[in-house]
Amino acid sequence: MHSTKLGWLLLAPTLLVLFFFGVLPFIYVLYVSFHQWNPFAVNPDMVFNWAENYRRVVFDAQFLASLGVTAAFVFFAVISELILGYMLAQAFMKDFPGKAIFRTIHTLPLIMAPIIVGSIWKLMTTPSIGILPNLLDNWFGYDLNIGQSAIAAFVTTVIMDIWHWTPLVTLTLIAALVSLPPDPFEQAQIDGANKRQIFWHITLPMIRPAILATVFIRLMDALRTVDEVLMLTGGGPGSATRYVGVHIFKEVFPRTNYGYGSAISVVVLYLTIVACWLLYVGLIAPRNKKA
Amino acid sequence: MSFAVRLGVSALALSVAAGSAFAQDDEFWAKAGEQFQGVTLRGVTEATPPSNYISDVLAPEFEEKTGIRVEIETTSWDQMYDKAIKDMEAGTGIYDMVYIEQDIVYAYLARDFLVNVTQALEENPDLKAPSFDEADFTTFADYFRGDDGDLYGIPMEAFIKIYLYRTDLFSDPEVQAAYKEKTGKDLAPATTHEDYQAIAEFFTQWGEDHDMDLWGTTAQAHTGHPASWYEYVESVAPTFGVYGWGIDPDNNYAATVENGGAMNSDAAKAALKWWLHMRDIAPPESVQSTWTEVATTFAAGRAAQGLVYGENAAWIASDDTKSRVVGNVGVALPPLQDGVMEAAESGEGYIGYYDGGAFGLPVTSKNRDAALLFLQYIGQESVQPGWAVAAPRITHTATYDDAGVQDMNTELGGYYDMLKDQGRLFAGAPAYPFHAQLREAVAPIFYEILTGSIEPDAGLDQMAEKAEQELTDLGYRQ
Repeated sequence: MHSTKLGWLLLAPTLLVLFFFGVLPFIYVLYVSFHQWNPFAVNPDMVFNWAENYRRVVFDAQFLASLGVTAAFVFFAVISELILGYMLAQAFMKDFPGKAIFRTIHTLPLIMAPIIVGSIWKLMTTPSIGILPNLLDNWFGYDLNIGQSAIAAFVTTVIMDIWHWTPLVTLTLIAALVSLPPDPFEQAQIDGANKRQIFWHITLPMIRPAILATVFIRLMDALRTVDEVLMLTGGGPGSATRYVGVHIFKEVFPRTNYGYGSAISVVVLYLTIVACWLLYVGLIAPRNKKA
Repeated sequence: MSFAVRLGVSALALSVAAGSAFAQDDEFWAKAGEQFQGVTLRGVTEATPPSNYISDVLAPEFEEKTGIRVEIETTSWDQMYDKAIKDMEAGTGIYDMVYIEQDIVYAYLARDFLVNVTQALEENPDLKAPSFDEADFTTFADYFRGDDGDLYGIPMEAFIKIYLYRTDLFSDPEVQAAYKEKTGKDLAPATTHEDYQAIAEFFTQWGEDHDMDLWGTTAQAHTGHPASWYEYVESVAPTFGVYGWGIDPDNNYAATVENGGAMNSDAAKAALKWWLHMRDIAPPESVQSTWTEVATTFAAGRAAQGLVYGENAAWIASDDTKSRVVGNVGVALPPLQDGVMEAAESGEGYIGYYDGGAFGLPVTSKNRDAALLFLQYIGQESVQPGWAVAAPRITHTATYDDAGVQDMNTELGGYYDMLKDQGRLFAGAPAYPFHAQLREAVAPIFYEILTGSIEPDAGLDQMAEKAEQELTDLGYRQ
């Protein structure tokens, strides 16, 4: 009994912080989402409008389009980061000359603010001036112009995200790989398993929780990408990179459409939870059941 | 008494009087600052040359004279609005001064975000600086006056979006001969859209033929940033006779032609198609260019002519650490359709964008009185000439006559003369309290026009309908 009380007491500061900075703002956003509220309207006050904002979200072609490009962005970015991150983690498990320096350089993008990342990529991709269009033109005769080509802009935002966040995946997977016991690997080698078999039947199942945690984190992060993309493309060309985060930003801040923007935020949160739940059900739950 | 002696005595008297006045001013600032020791004023503004001058020069000067610390945050245009509006809306009082762009002032006034500076100084005569006088401002200050005629912001920058051209190219005999041969006309800054287009096409071809990084025009045509929409509605459409974004505020804020607006009028459609053609023959970076990149493109010598914000004209024309076209910059009025100049002369229209901004004091400020002092400091006549030379902006009538400004005027090819004599032909943004809201509602359609996903005519029809719908939702259109 005493230990339970002490436990709650020790947890209290964290729970309070979580309540004030997590739960309370969420309740406020939920409350606002049931109102029509634009402070620059003729009536700047909040007016309760039931679920009108949510009805609007369902039929908002701009939002649905942004949801589509976001899904594609998340899919390509997260899958690429996972594969690349795993390969790099495996590489870092071995010794090679200059490993320490390479590992430090590889981690540098992680410590950069997203707005800086967006600025750097903007400089690198500006036609005629940026290094990337020049190199691509000289080497392959390809004219990179992310202000004009929707596909080029989309691919560039995906690559920028991969560049920025792959180190996080690498570091997480290194931690997982380092903690694996050597016995199963030794036994598999004795039994004559090849590298592919060891990967599929031993390594992958054993680091599955770490992979899933990483995917959850990256999925949630990628779904709320704003700064980098806003800086690089502004959501353009047209609406090619107007991901949901950018769409919400533009609705809420410049357009000051607080009520409707809050409703979109709640819907996106719900979709994120559903996506994570589907991942969990599809990848972890069957295993647990089987075990 | 000889003329020389009289001149010498007059000069001596003048310098004694001036010295005495400056000493009195310093005394006022020191005394006024005494009660605010330990106070730190915080301001947020866009990172532009005039704002950088406040941050780098005026704020440290003010600190030295008053002992009041000033922190000016210079950031991007989007972030500046984001931070200022959130602060004033939530009432957090982080900022004691906010930059008010001319086009947003009506929204701020409608929301009662700003302190009435005139009234505040009348109510606190102890804070009134002897060197500050509202009467010193040019008529641009009127944009920052409320319905009561009082000032709600201290004008700190004012400039026109001008037609810049490369004098070295326009006066090159070889270029002139080639242009004459191709068009049958003499090469001179364009006064009509047809001429502007001919010059733009000629130089783009010239650059290609001579393997030069040279194009015929700039274009502020970012495909995801409102800068492109601004260039069209504020700098191009008016030269075709489409004013106030094509919205008629006296006709229930109509935007569509069917309801009496002009956003999708034939003139608007002609303007858009002309501008899109200019975009197509501009440097490739134009589709990612906001106002900043347009200035950089021109300064890099990549365009023969273009519409450039006047705030950048000084460094483009004179700073050889940043510009490759120093000494080769000419200024002219934008090209116009028939009848537009007459409409501007009569006050019924305008020929381009008169941009600018002021520093305002949010009602949420926690250091209102100290901030009032700073606003007066930057609004004094004495600090204006240095500021005007560092960044080409003039907010005080007397600044035009300053010797340094006159020298800069020569270097800028008569830009200040144009601002003084023909500034009245330009206009700021229309007095809409829904500025950003309407822009953000129609801009996505505009971006789709730029990418070619929607045809210009159909796009403008959609924009006009969307504008009316948004204004209805906001309650302005019945």
